[in-house]
Amino acid sequence: MMVWIVLLAPLWGGFILGAERKIRAHMQHRMGPPLLQPFYDMAKLMQKRTTIIHSGHALLALGYFVTLWIAVGVVLLDGNVLWAIFIHLLASVLLVTAGFSVPSIFSHVGANRELLAIVSYEPILLLLGVAWYVSSGSWESGAIALGGTYWTSMPLLGVALLMVVLLKTGKSPFDMAHAHQEIVGGVEVEYSGIFYEVLYMARFLEYIFIYAFVFLWGGVVAVALFFVLANLIDNATARLTPAQTVRWFYALGLPLALLNLLGLVA
Amino acid sequence: MKWFRQWAQKSPWILHYNAGSCNGCDIEILAALGPDYDLERFGVLNRGNPKQSDIFLVTGPVTYRSRERLVELYTQIPEPKVVVAMGACTATGGVFRGMYNVEDGIDTYIPVDVYIPGCAPSPQLLIDGMAKALEIWVQKSRDIEKPHRLFGGIRKTLHYLDRRTMAQTLAQSKEKEPQ
Ligand code: SF4
Repeated sequence: MMVWIVLLAPLWGGFILGAERKIRAHMQHRMGPPLLQPFYDMAKLMQKRTTIIHSGHALLALGYFVTLWIAVGVVLLDGNVLWAIFIHLLASVLLVTAGFSVPSIFSHVGANRELLAIVSYEPILLLLGVAWYVSSGSWESGAIALGGTYWTSMPLLGVALLMVVLLKTGKSPFDMAHAHQEIVGGVEVEYSGIFYEVLYMARFLEYIFIYAFVFLWGGVVAVALFFVLANLIDNATARLTPAQTVRWFYALGLPLALLNLLGLVA
Repeated sequence: MKWFRQWAQKSPWILHYNAGSCNGCDIEILAALGPDYDLERFGVLNRGNPKQSDIFLVTGPVTYRSRERLVELYTQIPEPKVVVAMGACTATGGVFRGMYNVEDGIDTYIPVDVYIPGCAPSPQLLIDGMAKALEIWVQKSRDIEKPHRLFGGIRKTLHYLDRRTMAQTLAQSKEKEPQ
């Protein structure tokens, strides 16, 4: 079953994104777009004329997408969690390279912010992996899932993970990397047509990747809870600046994760 | 491909450009995107990025300063694309018509597909205009569309005459001024 989830990952991600847009609209007393809206968007993007800056730029987007897909595969198919985290890091680095490869200010700002985002969330993800190793004795995601849920043993890491979810899915207090009306989408700015579609689908994969971690941490209940919480927080807060975001992660997220880990080891 | 096109029709992303409008029209656009009229239920998103947009929604009479940017943005939108002129000034110049810094409507520079009348048009009219724009959009292909200049020679002459009259009036009023 997991194989199907991995092979059709963009499809499921599309459904999640559609559901999210619907939920957010209802939170704001709107009707919101139909559930299949992300797929309509994809069909539309396929029919647009594609303009590219240079082939490397377009290729890096493809590389980002494929690498991310592999990372999703690793975490869902009983792979090593550390591998998944580092393959995901490689994907992000490809995206940052793409951002810096074009002479566009917004693209550069976006790539810079992407780097800051990596600096913020990466230590927490790694500490989460280590904590799993400490409590279940294995790096394999299957063994971690069999070790039960970690609500009681890692509550503080759960809070830190919620922050990472907010950042990775581009939710409001920490959405500086993709700030739409501010830097016009950051690294996405120079993409159009089919290559923008690739980035659009990569966003679905990011959702699957980070929610797979949430699933490992606390099962289906945690996924549902985090999903609703993330949207609530997104609707209720305003965007922080990049410096503030990094400060939040290093002043709150990282100490929480470290404390939790110390508690587990002691 | 027909059923596919129908899908595509459900996702118009707009690029909103203010070519010197009084902001009345822009506020109506925001109202239409808000909870009351909720344009997003038709899949409309305000992208703010020409490379990923389908509908070019222009407000304002095109001031002298904004005309280059208008054409630039228009050429950056990949085809198929639709241009919607929102408000009386965007169609004809409206209350600003004939002013020295105004180009009297965007159709002097780019081909317009839908005109939405009114000053400012109500959100209902905007939604109607969007529906019409989508109808036109499905008909279009990926062929390249170019900006143009309507009635180039005539406009140039009129413009020249206008400026000359203005200069004369100015000179006369200067003469009348007590030294
Ligand atoms: S049409 Fe009227 S409301 Fe709209 S920009 Fe022009 S003057 Fe303002």
